[in-house]
Amino acid sequence: MYGFEHERGDSLDFYPCMKHKVIRKTVREFAEIEIGPIAHDIDQEARFPWEVIEKMRPMHFFGLQVPKEYGGADLDSISYAIVIEELSRVCAAIGLCVTVHNSVGLYPILKFGTEEQKRRFVPLLASGEIIGAFCITEANAGSDAGGVETHAVKDGNHYIVNGTKIFVTNGAICGAPLIFAVTNAKNSKKAASVFIVEKTTPGYSVGEIEDLCGMRANPVSSLFLEDCRVPEENLLMNLGDGLKIVLITLDTGRIGIAAQALGIAQAAFEASVRYSKERQQFRQPIGSFQTIQNMLADMATEIDAVRLLLYRACAYKDAGVTFSTEAAMAKLSCSTAASRVTSQAVQIHGGYGYSKEYDVERYFRDAKVTEIYEGTSEVQRMVIARAVLTKPS
Amino acid sequence: MKFVVCIKQVPAVSELPWDPQTGTLMRDLAEGMMNPACKHALEAAIQLKETLGGHITAITMGPPAAEEILHEAIAMGADKGVLLTDLRMAGGDTLVTSHTLGMAIAKVCPDFDLILCGCHTSDSETAQVGPQLAVELDVPSVAYVEHLKVLGTTLTMRRLADNFLETLEMDLPGLVTMTTKHYQPRYVSLGDLNDAFLAAEILILNADDLGLDPERIGIKGSATRIQNVYAPQAQKENVVLKGAVKHIVEELFARFGDRIAGAIGKDLDGRQ
Amino acid sequence: MDDSKNKGTATHSIWVFGDYRNYFQNRVTLQLLSRANELAKKINAEVCATVFGHDVDEYVGEYIAHGAQKIYVLDDRKIKDYNVDIYAGLMVRLIEQHKPEIVLVGATSFGREFAPQVAKKLLTGLTADCVGLDINDKGILLQTAPAFGGNLLAEIITPERRPQMATVRPGVYREIPHNYHATGEIVRLSLPKDLPKPRVRLLSAERQTQREQRLEDARIIVCGGRGMGSFKRFRNLTELARLMSGEVGATRPVVYAKWASQDALVGQAGRQIKPQLLFSFGISGAIQHTAAITGTDLIIAVNKNPNAAMMKLSDVAIVADANQTCLALIKELKKSLRG
Repeated sequence: MYGFEHERGDSLDFYPCMKHKVIRKTVREFAEIEIGPIAHDIDQEARFPWEVIEKMRPMHFFGLQVPKEYGGADLDSISYAIVIEELSRVCAAIGLCVTVHNSVGLYPILKFGTEEQKRRFVPLLASGEIIGAFCITEANAGSDAGGVETHAVKDGNHYIVNGTKIFVTNGAICGAPLIFAVTNAKNSKKAASVFIVEKTTPGYSVGEIEDLCGMRANPVSSLFLEDCRVPEENLLMNLGDGLKIVLITLDTGRIGIAAQALGIAQAAFEASVRYSKERQQFRQPIGSFQTIQNMLADMATEIDAVRLLLYRACAYKDAGVTFSTEAAMAKLSCSTAASRVTSQAVQIHGGYGYSKEYDVERYFRDAKVTEIYEGTSEVQRMVIARAVLTKPS
Repeated sequence: MKFVVCIKQVPAVSELPWDPQTGTLMRDLAEGMMNPACKHALEAAIQLKETLGGHITAITMGPPAAEEILHEAIAMGADKGVLLTDLRMAGGDTLVTSHTLGMAIAKVCPDFDLILCGCHTSDSETAQVGPQLAVELDVPSVAYVEHLKVLGTTLTMRRLADNFLETLEMDLPGLVTMTTKHYQPRYVSLGDLNDAFLAAEILILNADDLGLDPERIGIKGSATRIQNVYAPQAQKENVVLKGAVKHIVEELFARFGDRIAGAIGKDLDGRQ
Repeated sequence: MDDSKNKGTATHSIWVFGDYRNYFQNRVTLQLLSRANELAKKINAEVCATVFGHDVDEYVGEYIAHGAQKIYVLDDRKIKDYNVDIYAGLMVRLIEQHKPEIVLVGATSFGREFAPQVAKKLLTGLTADCVGLDINDKGILLQTAPAFGGNLLAEIITPERRPQMATVRPGVYREIPHNYHATGEIVRLSLPKDLPKPRVRLLSAERQTQREQRLEDARIIVCGGRGMGSFKRFRNLTELARLMSGEVGATRPVVYAKWASQDALVGQAGRQIKPQLLFSFGISGAIQHTAAITGTDLIIAVNKNPNAAMMKLSDVAIVADANQTCLALIKELKKSLRG
């Protein structure tokens, strides 16, 4: 599947292959049995379920696309997307933990790290012994990564890192997050770098866990770095490569988030179909009314459409061709779909949809953030518009 | 030790439409899954292999889509998968199924030590194929085994049968059918699953490969014939209660209170 | 084996295998003798029973008193323990010699292992776990068996091969009351000389206490499905069951989700429940059909969906939220049972 071999022949296969079907079933079964029963409660209590994470570790959930030599499952990208989707369908917060760990916490080290860095960190991350994260966002730097103030100053064979990162997914549980820091204050846009900062570093501390609308079982928090001495062996790539690393990493990250959003949409959709068959008003199931049928038809079509966009981005990635625009389109469309479908799902459920007795309100709360993190929908549109406008006509 | 595990792909839904023309269930409409009892049998075989060493052949008879569960079996720990698939084999009863499986095992693993099957399937639930396969291959068998141990060429088993907790001994080669009581199937790691698809040893055989007589397989060779399949009809005078839950409960006790009380064996005061 | 008696005026015979273990709880042989008598009238057959074992005269007498017109007895110390292998071999020889038209076996654990082996050796058809037996207009045995955990019923015939064999669930038929005046022909046979050495040996057998049978013996069962919504809500069913001194039953998805243990699984083949009072909460399928046909006094189904299969099979169909109804019932019972 690598290189341009795929351009030969006439394949554009929309029918899922056996492997993808079985991976989906396997993850779905695991998620429904192990996470399903607690999904509601861990959201309510904002509790991160370590007991489930322990069961997930030997199954390679934390090394999904890591090569076997480092202890990973070496899955193709569509399989990866399926895994994230199926986890998120049952519990978006867990799906978030796994995709952030894999796509932005681990992947950069795999792609950009030296042999020594890979040897030191990848097996630990792939086995889930350490959870990964990537910290960019700060109080003054959201969509504008150029506003980052965390800085790293060379001191002998260390870097002294100072700063505060906020809204870090997996923040309270990560063991070796990647920190995006300015390394040349004079021209900050061109001189940012990425460091692997181990949590055992003196000066590293975790802030309070955020009290969020959704994804509540994920321990999102701030990270404080006060005079952290980071060895120069922990610099990823070279000084000044920070932005490049971030942009490439986010392409992969967007596939993961798109898959997560898709899972949430799928869950909301299935719940709506079930409810439409059961709920009776005016002496018939509400699924017999054209209004509801139109809603379900639109939901089904939208979900299928964005799913194909997601898989297209995955296919391009595996083929080794650039996929930034495709990933942006996937993330934009899947997250938009998730928000729309979950909102519609609550509507279909009526008053019950607004109650915590049912899962749809959780899907609704979880969906919204998929339009915000790892590049807001507005940023995705910037990426796509730029590609569209710079393409030679 | 050489193990053969017979597994079956069953529909993952509980309601399946019935095709009156062929007299069979329309299986292709549903997603398939490995029958739970078969999965437990496979897990038992894998645990035995981990202790005693050996080789596990997973074998299934079904439509081409059944190949899926062979990959799953290999991902779990089987060494080789065999798919018996042929339109002529379709719709057979346990008599011909056991014959077909027997012929296949005689071909792919004639020197087996132990055959493991699930005690019954979640769709047809006959629990007959195991014992009949044992007769086909003329080996001893024990059904509904909960726990087993191998010592040399003797198998010791524990099972609950008709209110007796039995410990039995069987000379190998033999066959057992496993319940779902023990041997919880392990979760397959995604890496192993991926490998099982990338490089799996799967053999696909049809009726000709097995040298089967077309008259002795499928619907043709079956001794039993399904005449009709239906969903059970309501035969009761049905009382429907609707409305506010509080009122429903009041009405329920008003009309059926004495029958409820009778079953409980205590009096329900005030409600009559 | 010797048998020089003649059959009498009947043209066929219907045989029932005498499964006499746990005689007082396990009445299936008597139930089958009863049904066999009804079937026998339709095809002019005589009803026979087979009894293998040692010191079995007590059962021989019982079977005659409960409807067997003739009994084939194999009484020998060597076969005192039930052994599928040995008994199947003996049964096959008997059948080959006397050629019964129909052979019925109770669907006990033993029967469900024994009958398939007999059928296979005779290359004849066998229907498992029947919940209905009848003779159709062509004089053939019509066997009704459940599939998909009872969600479907199949009508099966064995058109050509003989004997027509079926295993039948305990509790489907009612035994004929003990008739002290009944007489029957007892045919005592001797063990064949070439009896093979058993390849399966029983090392020990401990009778289990009633605990194992909780669900099968429960008078009241509160059954719940995935429709309960969550483990917390499912637990309310446990409270309801406790108040009524009943047992909790669960569907397969519930056991899978670990809201209930495997022991609570209802609707599984071989586990016959026969409660007097059955509640079904949030179950969409008809898994409890097995209970529905064995004379459960009162079935109360609760489901938001009035078209769910269980709602059609129940005596009372409550169209409401399962959890709310359960809580309301708990409240009501707590009030009413205080006296």
